[in-house]
Amino acid sequence: MRFFKSLLSATLLIAGALAAKKSPTERFSEYHTKALSSSPLKLSETSYKSLTSTPRDYSVVVLLTALENRFGCQLCRDFQPEYDLLGKGWVKGDKKAESRLLFGTLDFVDGRDVFVSLGLQTAPVLLLFQPTEGPHAVASKDPIRYDFTTGPPTAEQVHGWLSRHLTDRPHPPVKRPINWQRWASAITIILGGITLVATASPYILPVIQNRALWATGSMFFVLLFTSGYMFCQIRNVPYVTGNGKGGVSYFAGSFQNQHGLETQVVGGLYGILAITFTVLVTKVPTISNPRYQQVAAVACGGTIFLLQSALLSIFRIKNGGYPFSLPPFM
Amino acid sequence: MAVAQQNALLGPPSQSSRTLLRVVILLFIAGAAIASRLFSVIRFESIIHEFDPWFNFRATKYLVANGFYKFWDWFDDRTWHPLGRVTGGTLYPGLMVTSGVIYHILQALTIPIDIRNICVLLAPAFSGLTAFAAYLLTNEMTTSPSAGLLAAAFMGIAPGYISRSVAGSYDNEAIAIFLLVFTFYLWIKALKLGSMLWGALCALFYGYMVASWGGYAFITCILPLHAFVLICMGRYSRRLYVSYTTWYALGTLASMQIPFVGFLPVKTSEHMPALGIFGFLQLVGFIDYVRSAISGRQFQAFLITVLVATFGIGLAGLVALTSLGYIAPWGGRFYSLWDTGYAKVHIPIIASVSEHQPTAWPAFFFDLNILVWLLPAGIWLLYKELRDEHVFVITYALCGSYFAGVMVRLMLTLTPIVCVAAAIAASKLLDTYLVKSPSQTSTSEAGEKKAPKSADKTASPLGVSSMVSKLTIVGAMIVYLLMFVSHCTWVTSNAYSSPSVVLASRMPDGSQHIIDDYREAYQWLRQNTKEDAKIMSWWDYGYQIGGMADRPTLVDNNTWNNTHIATVGKAMSSREEVSYPIMRQHEVDYVLIVFGGLLGYSGDDINKFLWMVRIAEGIWPEEVKERDFFTARGEYRVDDGATDTMKNSLMYKMSYHNYQSMFPPGKAADRVRGVQLPSEGPVLNTIEEAYTTENWIIRIYKVKDLDNVGRDHFSAAAFDRGQKKKATKKRGPRVLRVD
Amino acid sequence: MKPLSIATALFGIVSTVLAAEPRQSKDILPKDFKPPQVFKNANLVHIISLEKNYAKEQINAVIENVSPELQDEYYVPFTADQLSRVGGFEVKDRKDAGAGRFVADVAEYDPLSDVQYYRIRLPTPLKAGGQQTLGISFYYLRAYKALPALIDQTDEQYLSYEFSIYAPSAYPTLKQKTEVKAGSAKIPDYTKLAGTGDVPEYPQKQGTKLTYGPFDEKPAGASSPATVRFEFTKPVIHISALERDIEVSHWGGNVAFEERYTIQHLGANLSTQFNRVKWAQSQFMNPNSHALKELRVPLQVGSDDAYFTDTIGNVSTSHFRSNKREAVLELKPRYPIFGGWKYPFTIGWNSNAANYLRRTATGGFVFRTPFLEGPKQAEGVEYEHIDLRVLLPEGAQNVKLLADIPESSIIEHTVGLHKTYLDTIGRTAVHIKARNLVDEFRDRELIITYDVSSSITLRKPFIVFASMLAVFTLAWAVGKIDVGFSKTKQA
Repeated sequence: MRFFKSLLSATLLIAGALAAKKSPTERFSEYHTKALSSSPLKLSETSYKSLTSTPRDYSVVVLLTALENRFGCQLCRDFQPEYDLLGKGWVKGDKKAESRLLFGTLDFVDGRDVFVSLGLQTAPVLLLFQPTEGPHAVASKDPIRYDFTTGPPTAEQVHGWLSRHLTDRPHPPVKRPINWQRWASAITIILGGITLVATASPYILPVIQNRALWATGSMFFVLLFTSGYMFCQIRNVPYVTGNGKGGVSYFAGSFQNQHGLETQVVGGLYGILAITFTVLVTKVPTISNPRYQQVAAVACGGTIFLLQSALLSIFRIKNGGYPFSLPPFM
Repeated sequence: MAVAQQNALLGPPSQSSRTLLRVVILLFIAGAAIASRLFSVIRFESIIHEFDPWFNFRATKYLVANGFYKFWDWFDDRTWHPLGRVTGGTLYPGLMVTSGVIYHILQALTIPIDIRNICVLLAPAFSGLTAFAAYLLTNEMTTSPSAGLLAAAFMGIAPGYISRSVAGSYDNEAIAIFLLVFTFYLWIKALKLGSMLWGALCALFYGYMVASWGGYAFITCILPLHAFVLICMGRYSRRLYVSYTTWYALGTLASMQIPFVGFLPVKTSEHMPALGIFGFLQLVGFIDYVRSAISGRQFQAFLITVLVATFGIGLAGLVALTSLGYIAPWGGRFYSLWDTGYAKVHIPIIASVSEHQPTAWPAFFFDLNILVWLLPAGIWLLYKELRDEHVFVITYALCGSYFAGVMVRLMLTLTPIVCVAAAIAASKLLDTYLVKSPSQTSTSEAGEKKAPKSADKTASPLGVSSMVSKLTIVGAMIVYLLMFVSHCTWVTSNAYSSPSVVLASRMPDGSQHIIDDYREAYQWLRQNTKEDAKIMSWWDYGYQIGGMADRPTLVDNNTWNNTHIATVGKAMSSREEVSYPIMRQHEVDYVLIVFGGLLGYSGDDINKFLWMVRIAEGIWPEEVKERDFFTARGEYRVDDGATDTMKNSLMYKMSYHNYQSMFPPGKAADRVRGVQLPSEGPVLNTIEEAYTTENWIIRIYKVKDLDNVGRDHFSAAAFDRGQKKKATKKRGPRVLRVD
Repeated sequence: MKPLSIATALFGIVSTVLAAEPRQSKDILPKDFKPPQVFKNANLVHIISLEKNYAKEQINAVIENVSPELQDEYYVPFTADQLSRVGGFEVKDRKDAGAGRFVADVAEYDPLSDVQYYRIRLPTPLKAGGQQTLGISFYYLRAYKALPALIDQTDEQYLSYEFSIYAPSAYPTLKQKTEVKAGSAKIPDYTKLAGTGDVPEYPQKQGTKLTYGPFDEKPAGASSPATVRFEFTKPVIHISALERDIEVSHWGGNVAFEERYTIQHLGANLSTQFNRVKWAQSQFMNPNSHALKELRVPLQVGSDDAYFTDTIGNVSTSHFRSNKREAVLELKPRYPIFGGWKYPFTIGWNSNAANYLRRTATGGFVFRTPFLEGPKQAEGVEYEHIDLRVLLPEGAQNVKLLADIPESSIIEHTVGLHKTYLDTIGRTAVHIKARNLVDEFRDRELIITYDVSSSITLRKPFIVFASMLAVFTLAWAVGKIDVGFSKTKQA
């Protein structure tokens, strides 16, 4: 693979050198034949120059990227497979090159000067060179730039962008290959799971049928969601934030907002309250010794009262105008 | 209170007096439920609230005026101009029909109550019924005499429910919640008795629910889930079979009668679980039959394999059909419940609605107060004796809490079950700590159906002996309950009782001052523009314009056509040169915007502007770019530092046009954004200010007609402004010759 | 007792005019009708006052019977267009006020003819050569044209009025004079005439008043068109329709009023769109503008819980002051009403029945209320159509009514039934339609007498009670039915 790539680039180099003095049509056909074997083309500086040199009666899409790790361009790496997919799909889509469109990739290491000449600080950059002659010629010969505003775009998005610009030309659709590996693994896992259950059922069953376990589980579940867990997930809010003065603020000031920590605090409070309550209802009456029973009852009652008061005071942090409170946390 | 004393006087009351007390107490609860929802009527007036209710109100008036069949195939050409809307086929008629029927009954009794008051007071009236339904539902769950009443009380005043059912919020939820709870009650009843009659009733009310609210899908998913869980727990029974099949068969037929639903029950994923479980139940029923034939060891294997196989096959088939497109995948709104990021990326309209945001914990505490932590306690207690109906409560509670966590508005569906569970817990406590000895518990149950058995089971073996603990615990509980009541009152009066059409502010002397700009503007439009003048505004105000100004609108709150909304968004967020042709093409006569700058009213269009931009960008990514509205440092500004795209956007120009002249030069300030505005304001060429309300909240602009001497509006306007240098040199003479 | 006496007194005068059954149509005159030349106006003074936003015209004429025999029919001519706009036509004898108001009505004949007549019936026929002094007064609605028709919202508004310098008369006039009182002293242009005798030219102008004449003898139907254009910086309020409902309740001891106005500004329209900034500033500098900002409605003392709403609900910008001396309802429309703008609205209030209702000695009832209680504005208010409906208690019989307004302005009146609030036989509804009235008739009264038997009064509570009972028994019976299929399971 590696070898092939290098070889390809070498050939391209030569080709580029020759290409300079070729007519656009020849240039296109030549590059297109290459593209048929591997698209998008892995460009070098020279091939880039020849490919994008005017006059041209075809259009070129070039992705200027920096894949190597040392550049630490996550976006480049995320987008690369999508781009390859697009390029392959397109060329496969019209073998006879009716759309007269070529895909190329120029890595920073291969074409530093190009980056410099274009004055690019960032990567990746996706350029579309419209034809300067022929039926679809456009006035300006400098390329159109695709802006990567929202994360790595999918092949379909870029495809749409191209289709908008290359009007009344065939737009071969993007075909995603079926991910056999994923399917296979999924199936195996499922089957494995089934067999596992089948075999281990004698041991698992009692656990599954354990009522207390389920009870605890569902209690936990409810507590989780009623204390704003999903909010934290969706808004991925910080766990805590600093208040301007170097300290840490555990509670977000506003009513519509909250921190990760709050979920735990509030959820905990709810949980303890609920448990104490249940104890009060179920366990306490069964205590035979009156004195112990009384002590237990009062203790539970006190706990609930305390926690409720704490809860109210926390709520008053979130909602300033809230009038109600209980001692001791007034 | 009076009731309590009466109770004390009677001593151990007899069966009949018990029933009487129940009735009286329930009446009191219903009264409280209704009364607590009347804040807005007393503070302001009997008026329809907010946005959607205005459409429901308009539709109801149409129904009352033109009769049911006209309503059924009502094509409304005064919305979504120029498309129009097949209203009759795209709404849930339950609400309108309900109030229409009530209206006609009253008319028959020659009681002249106008339709508006019926619509305003419908929600409170139904909240009384909801409390009653909660009472019935809870009584099915437990044998405690007080649980039902507590549940009713909670249901009556829980803010989570009040938020959508105050007087004037004439929305589908107004009746839907009652139907929801009552349907569940009937379901439990049917399940317990295995009775076809109750199953059919359940189906009937399910049909009513489908006719009333899109949220019916919640029932459609919860009931099968309940059935499925029961089966998994090995609790399959003839009762389950009878009740479920009855409900599903009849209910589905009933639901298909609604044009808006039509064949969805067999075509969309939301409804598939119900169908699947239906089939599954047949299978289980069959196996149940087979069990009697085959016996013992190999039956187990047979059972397991068949079940698993069919279930797998069913699931696979579902997936296959979905992927092949025979079954529609989950609708956007539903899907955004699972993949919570989905809406923000793909359906900005849904994401833009505030009530589709996730819920932070304060909202829960705000809407449920102590019930929040009584819920888990209740669940735990239900696990003690896990009857079929208890399974239902638990399932419902789990799903409900998840949904409520994902979407604020679904707090509504959680509230009923929270009330039930909390009531069960609270009543358990009170029973344990009020009743002297267990024996009396059972006697007090004499009235309840098949009480003694379960009563003995629930009652504690020993009971609480010491007076001190009884007093402390009960006292504390009473304190919490009282605080709950005052909390609900406070929340209702402060948070949920303002009809957003009318704003109230306090005068220096503390008296209430009404800010009525919305209706000022709507009334002006209604009286002083021609009958079919098309109004362009952001979709939030579509229903209100339709209802109050009675003028055709381009887009409204029924956001069924994203492109059309995006068109309006584009017109608002583009330069005049771009917007004017769009407005001409859509025959727009007036543009209406909301501007809070003068009053400090934060819910105005400049603050909503980014959504218009995003939605427009979704359709025209080349022409509208959100990024251009942010400064280089990524701020959203309206002052000097605002980007040119912002300053040239129609919305910005309309908002601040002529605004500077209200202030001494250079002093113009926006009180919402709290910034100084550029010293000279934007210049409008293609539209002109037609009306601005007293506090500038609503500004209406007239779209200029084509210039009668064929100039483009920019030179024409320049000429009118008398800019001799530019205008007269180039344009002036030619224009004169044209004349 | 006082109202009753008034009532009887008034009945004495014109109760023949309004009986409970609809009026019989007048005798139709021949097509080629010309008023017989039996009178001449010995002296005539024509006063046109344009101070309000309707035109009030008064013709004081000394008429003389020139025919040998007795005469009792005097005709006043109008053009067809005027006839549609004229209203409140009243005639008195200037010499003795005791004679009351003369009967006057529209003389019906060829509806296509351009000249139409009002016919005045003298109470006592005038003998040959006899003289009588008539005071004829009437009003024109929609009287003015704004000139210029389009003005800016801060400009002042000018109205122009067209009239004839010679008073319209069907008879020769020996000596006459016409006075025009304009709305303000600013009168930029008006028709001028060559003077006679010592006067250089007509009219003589002092202050707001223009005086044409005196002129010498003019033949019957002489006219000379003239216009006057004057400043009028007040709104030109025109109420195209007023529906006034009055509901009398014996049980509640309450009288409920509700009035629905369709108000319109007939003045100069805006030349440009409305500008809020200018408006706000002009409010500080000079508050008086040609836009209608506020209406004051003085109600009867003792009226309470008044409301002011329009099609989309309560209008919060209204004040109601009620005390011992007065009850005033101050209405601010949602927006200032400029020329050509409309604003329909509804006001209503309650009052204790004792203020309006009296029992007569014979056991009947007398209900007495102002015929009109509209807004009271400095610039005056004109009503084109008035639709008055009085709901009397259920089962009210032998209804007699008397409206103390010129009978020529009453189009029709009927007594019917109206069902509401659990009525079974329905309430007696008196319905009066009138046209072309102005707010100078505010103090005129409507008096209705009727009888109600107490058995009918008790009828409703009984029926309600009975029906409730029926419902409960039915419910009980239904509750008894067992819907269960078998005894084993309860349903």
